[in-house]
Amino acid sequence: MSKVLLITGLILSLAGSPSAQVNDLQEKIFSARDKVLPALVHIQPVIKDYRTGELKKQAVIGSGVIFHPDGYVVTNYHVAGKAERIICTLNSKEQVPATYIGGDPPTDIAVLRLELDEYEGEIAVADLGDSDALQVGQMVLAMGSPLSLSRSVSSGVVSTKDRYFSSDYRLPSGEETGRYNLWVQTDAAINPGNSGGPLVDLAGRVIGINSRATFLANNLGFAIPINIVKEVTAAILSEGKVARSWIGVYAQALQELEDYFGAGRERGVLISSIDPGSPAEESFLKAGDVVLEIDGQPVSARFVEELPAFYRSIASRPPGTDINLKVLRNDEEFSLPVKTRPLGELQGEDFECSDWGFTVKAITRHMQIQNQLRDTLGVFVTGVKRVGAADLAGLRRGDVVLNVNKEHVPGFAYFTSRYGELAAGDSEKILLTLMRGGAKRLVVLTVDGQEQDGEGEPSNE
Amino acid sequence: MNKRTQAMTSSFVAAVLVALSCLMLPGSIRAQTFDFDRLEKDARQYTVIIDMKIEFSFGMQSNEHEQRLIGTLVSEDGLVMFDGGFLSESNPLSPMSSFSFRADPTTIEITTLEDEKFDAEYVGVDRQTGLGFIRITDAGDRRFTPVEFVTGRQFKLGEWLAVFMLLPEFVTPPTAADVGMVSTLVTSPEEFALTVGFNSLEMASVLFDEDMRPVGVLGTLTDPSSSDSDPGGLMESMGQFALPLLGVITGERLDKLIADPPQKGKTDRAWLGITLQALTEDIAGFLNMDTPGGIIVNEVVNGSPASASGLQVGDVLYEINNQQIEVNREEELVVFQRRIADMGAGTSVEFSILRPVDETIDTITLLAVLEAAPLAASDAPEYENDHLEFKSRDLVFADYVRFNVEQGGLNGVVVSELKQGGLAYIGGLHLGDIIQRVDGSDITSVDELSASMALLESERPEEIIFFIWRFNKTLFVNVKTDWN
Repeated sequence: MSKVLLITGLILSLAGSPSAQVNDLQEKIFSARDKVLPALVHIQPVIKDYRTGELKKQAVIGSGVIFHPDGYVVTNYHVAGKAERIICTLNSKEQVPATYIGGDPPTDIAVLRLELDEYEGEIAVADLGDSDALQVGQMVLAMGSPLSLSRSVSSGVVSTKDRYFSSDYRLPSGEETGRYNLWVQTDAAINPGNSGGPLVDLAGRVIGINSRATFLANNLGFAIPINIVKEVTAAILSEGKVARSWIGVYAQALQELEDYFGAGRERGVLISSIDPGSPAEESFLKAGDVVLEIDGQPVSARFVEELPAFYRSIASRPPGTDINLKVLRNDEEFSLPVKTRPLGELQGEDFECSDWGFTVKAITRHMQIQNQLRDTLGVFVTGVKRVGAADLAGLRRGDVVLNVNKEHVPGFAYFTSRYGELAAGDSEKILLTLMRGGAKRLVVLTVDGQEQDGEGEPSNE
Repeated sequence: MNKRTQAMTSSFVAAVLVALSCLMLPGSIRAQTFDFDRLEKDARQYTVIIDMKIEFSFGMQSNEHEQRLIGTLVSEDGLVMFDGGFLSESNPLSPMSSFSFRADPTTIEITTLEDEKFDAEYVGVDRQTGLGFIRITDAGDRRFTPVEFVTGRQFKLGEWLAVFMLLPEFVTPPTAADVGMVSTLVTSPEEFALTVGFNSLEMASVLFDEDMRPVGVLGTLTDPSSSDSDPGGLMESMGQFALPLLGVITGERLDKLIADPPQKGKTDRAWLGITLQALTEDIAGFLNMDTPGGIIVNEVVNGSPASASGLQVGDVLYEINNQQIEVNREEELVVFQRRIADMGAGTSVEFSILRPVDETIDTITLLAVLEAAPLAASDAPEYENDHLEFKSRDLVFADYVRFNVEQGGLNGVVVSELKQGGLAYIGGLHLGDIIQRVDGSDITSVDELSASMALLESERPEEIIFFIWRFNKTLFVNVKTDWN
């Protein structure tokens, strides 16, 4: 009899203990949900898209989270960066308009402010956590509007906290992104529409902003670490943007090359490429140099995961700063001063030439480098409308318009004002001088003036 | 003229028209009258069958194929002409792209219709016509009876032409006759007798008229619509992707090619060194020029014959050697390009040009001495490394245009082939990369690369560090070796 009792007791105690743990976990999830879900925002911006050769307004869907009592919402730049107007739906299901405050394409972060004048309820503000303290395997919740299904919560773990992506990745609006940050990878379901939504730990603190997912794969989502988001949002709130320093270098992980370059392990950053016309080039820094220190502080990038920190260590200095690099070149160490310049805009302003059937962008220094142009003169053709005047004349995306009616186009402002004059006049023929690759070409547009606006289908970001 | 005479005149005109149409009708509806027995006897003497092994490669893939083609002996010492339109050098993408599709003959065997067998070597392909040339190498003193093309012949709409086509190998005899008709006489972009009734399998076959005379070979009219942005005249065959218009490549053009056949790796085309564009009516209006036709100079290549002659951007060429340049449409540019190409290096050419200066237009005469055109990518010297399994070639003029850099503004050699799974591929080299340094040694040509690699192979290092340019950035690539 006593044996039977003992066995039964054992079974009970075995059964009772996990159940309590599960309940405890469930309670933690409920608690985290209740801390962040009220601050979750469903975002419906109408964005301007110039890629098809005409200005198309597109309704898109994204997510965001309120992080400031004044109604500031953080989301992705690719959700709201090109927004013309924004409507947000709060967790109370009430809709409020929002204003775009600023964005940062290199980290894909944007800040909006909810227009709460006519909103009678209270808003909740989410706590921001510490992404450096994350652990792989730690449970997390993703919140947002996957495929427009607002107020959705999914769960998973932190799969990796230092995922590296090359900065060759471009946002839909053309900017290189991801150069200054690593990513928190999670298996919590992230789908289009989750973009800009929070990744939350079980203490109910936002530890990342969900930004990317891998299609044709299961449960591979990526969030921007919240510590990066904190820096970026603080800069946007105080300055309207993130001011970065630029010296024009690309670095490469040393791991595979350290024997060749003679740098000791865990020491130095290998410079692999120097942008033409950059401060680095002007200071005679060379590809193959190993930067050992910046202003006396040792730097290293033995693995690709260390590259964003190196780029950030330069970018975080105020533009115009003199920095001192300790460089290893051919077994010799020496100091090299470099004066930083502002990073500047990655992509230029957009413009639609509706009568001529194409769209253009101002050419920034970065676009010049990216597109292998010789200078920033002219305007860059971003799209050519099918069966429009430009299409019929043979204009192509990537052409640079150098002259309009034989007049030299120094830049965007001149081009748009000249377009305005010509479009208002009765010119039927327009002569453009183009640069395509390394070859120049003349085209004549025959303008008939019949244009109409297109409205795209809503899509999820 | 009164009503009566008017009526008489009308009926007279009608009668003449009827008479004329009676005269013409029998010609256009009668069947052809070829004496095929005699024709075959003639053609047998110079028709041969070519068995060619060809290595096809596209980037990382390569394999060997065997192709059976009809060929024509065009010289006593064994020069043979065939349809080489599928070979690398005539590939429209190869001049501009580093990701070139390549098809190179490896071994060639020739069988005459009398069943004599010979070995042959590849000579080259003319990119404009797609005609290939090979030469018999083991004929000794044997003399062949070559075809002799009629020149100066005027083709007529509706006249019949005949060819011999090659039949599949399981059929005996190996050739069969076919007939076609001249369907129109094209005048622009160039004079070309178009035919109907033939098919593209008969390309490069000798065409006979009803008097049994070889009048040319079957070829295509090239669509030159993509010739615009090409300073070297390298891109003129881009339009070949369109359905080909078949017709006669005339004896005159063939005789020129036969006398000086194109040779692989050697440029026989001359160039001026400009980016050119047709002076259309629209553009002429903007430039205040009422010239009917001409060529606008959009760019002058540094160090080219054009630049030495004093030609400037914005000039309009309107006469060449005192003959008017009648180029009113882009499609007609190819005629000018070919004319320059055919003149040969060293030829002096006089151009009359219009040069807009302020509000006036000056007329100037310039003298240019043509030079050999720059090499196409497919003709550029190449280096192959069997250990790392990649090929690379010298940079060519077209690369500078494509990458938008000054000529000489980029040094290195282009990775033109990469075997999938090979050491270079695994190490991270990409097709199209420009190798600028190998283990610290600067590389500006495949000869230098070859020398550097030979040295490294004697030292057998565990890894080789390539410094490469990939579009707008440079980087280091560590390729691990495997000497065992």
